[in-house]
Amino acid sequence: MSSPIALSGVSYTYDKGDRPVLREVGLTIAEGEIVLLTGPSGSGKTTLLTLVGALRAMQSGSCTVLGQQLMGASEAQRVALRRRIGFIFQQHNLLGFLTARQNVAMALELDPASTERDRLARAGEMLEAVGLGAKAESLPGQLSGGQRQRVAVARALAARPGLVLADEPTAALDRQSGQDVVRLLTDLARQRGVPILLVTHDPRILDIADRIVAMEDGRITSAPEPATGPAI
Amino acid sequence: MTAILAARLAWRQLLSNRARLVSAIAGVTFACVLVFMQLGFRGALFDSASNLPRALQGELFLVNPLTLVMFRPEPIARVRASQVLADPDIALSVPIYLAQTKFRNPETGRQRTIQLIGFDPEAGAVHFEGLEALTPALKRIDTIAFDRRSRPEFGPITPRLEQSGPFEVEVGGRAMLVVGLVALGTSFGADGNAVMTETNFRRIVKERQPSKTDLVAIRLKPGADAQAVKQRLTTILPRDVMVLTGPELIAWERSYWEKGTPIGFIFGFGSLMGLIVGMVIVYQILFSDIATHLKEYATLKAIGYSNHYLRRVVMGAALMLAVFGFIPGFLGSIALYSLVAKATLLPLAMDAARAAAVFGLIFAMCASAGLLAMRKLGEANPADMF
Repeated sequence: MSSPIALSGVSYTYDKGDRPVLREVGLTIAEGEIVLLTGPSGSGKTTLLTLVGALRAMQSGSCTVLGQQLMGASEAQRVALRRRIGFIFQQHNLLGFLTARQNVAMALELDPASTERDRLARAGEMLEAVGLGAKAESLPGQLSGGQRQRVAVARALAARPGLVLADEPTAALDRQSGQDVVRLLTDLARQRGVPILLVTHDPRILDIADRIVAMEDGRITSAPEPATGPAI
Repeated sequence: MTAILAARLAWRQLLSNRARLVSAIAGVTFACVLVFMQLGFRGALFDSASNLPRALQGELFLVNPLTLVMFRPEPIARVRASQVLADPDIALSVPIYLAQTKFRNPETGRQRTIQLIGFDPEAGAVHFEGLEALTPALKRIDTIAFDRRSRPEFGPITPRLEQSGPFEVEVGGRAMLVVGLVALGTSFGADGNAVMTETNFRRIVKERQPSKTDLVAIRLKPGADAQAVKQRLTTILPRDVMVLTGPELIAWERSYWEKGTPIGFIFGFGSLMGLIVGMVIVYQILFSDIATHLKEYATLKAIGYSNHYLRRVVMGAALMLAVFGFIPGFLGSIALYSLVAKATLLPLAMDAARAAAVFGLIFAMCASAGLLAMRKLGEANPADMF
């Protein structure tokens, strides 16, 4: 089994920008590893995350995510890869007209073999796992910020992803609920052996990581490889 | 399967904002009623135009090829009616006289144009409802039968007849006795009809030459083939008459109104305006639904939903609006039809073909609104989510 994420020589320049936001970035993440990506704003962390998440087309270099080479990948290949990744955003981005359970089930409807009963049962289990079993039938508008972000965690993990990508998941939350959400996320990921790449500014959550990767000015400045070397 | 899930998502989204849903459905309903009314008037016009040829019930007709429309006929030689009897398959042939003249309302004294229809009621070629019982009375001098479905502006002819029996009215400046009622119906060319014998017709319309008539109705012997007889007559008869079957006469009268007047276009244009208004409303609703949910749509794309799936959601919403707007529009139009039919005496009624056509138009209207709104989906870019 190869590494869930393996980047080498990745550079990226925005259409309008004159200088690259990513320069020759190399990064490898091992099975089950929880990696924090930190750095000042404008250092290129979010761009790196969107490339790894197959949300943006590659320009140069090599980026293999869950076995899929993204350099030159088609839109269809990228959409297919996204189904195997759990995403957590700054905002919860839940559909306001669906209940918590239905929102989580949306991540499961992409599997054509699943049945409605299975999907709702699985969504219920995931909500139990994030401690929201009692709120399964609530609309997002009836939940607190921390609860909504926990629903988003449940949605990200429901489809048993091979990788979780998170972007400042604590940014919109107060200190306590932010920590709760991140601990919940990392605990669930560890139980399931799912690797996490998490972009954050938040110094309070640095202790949850196996490794902290720092970025500056489009380059990775520390710890691009797992401590024990990539698991091959 | 994914189509059903996309449709369910569309439905849940529509339901989440009841006020918006209601206004969208009201918009579709409005467009639906507008189109139904326009097409209804158009159909009623063409149907009523062919009231007279339909009521004549002939199997074949002779008309002057120069005649454009029946209320303005070009005369044909009366002798043609006798000549066609040479064909062994023809049982009867009856000349019919048509003219429009003034009819004075016996109550108000105001004059109005009425359609006169003169023929021999005994010949049995024409079967207006109520005519048979009146035949003996009509044979008397200066008598007419009045069309009970004429517009009310001609005066209270029907109640007066039913109350106190025959009475005199002024038709074309001549005193005529109304002896009874037939049922025929108005058209855009005639507000009312009066039926009489050939002789009485000529007593009103004095300038008519006795050798000329306006239309000849032919009845065939049982089992005769109308097309074959038409072929034979066409080869034998001079070119001053044209032979038409019953349905052809109806179609020919309709086509004058459809093609010879701007009326068909006007109603078609009215329908189009209704559809455009409806489309704009549906587009607005779908567009604002997408705009307010842009982040959520981008999230769905990020977690692996394709553009195709989201387009299905938008289209599903559009088509649901079509269905839910059509149902009240259809029922409302049925009610409006009977209301308008009562007021105008035009034959306005719902039929399955029109309902299907309007549903098709409304469906297409909502689908195009959906296609337009879908362009907004391109702005839901998952890369902007981080």
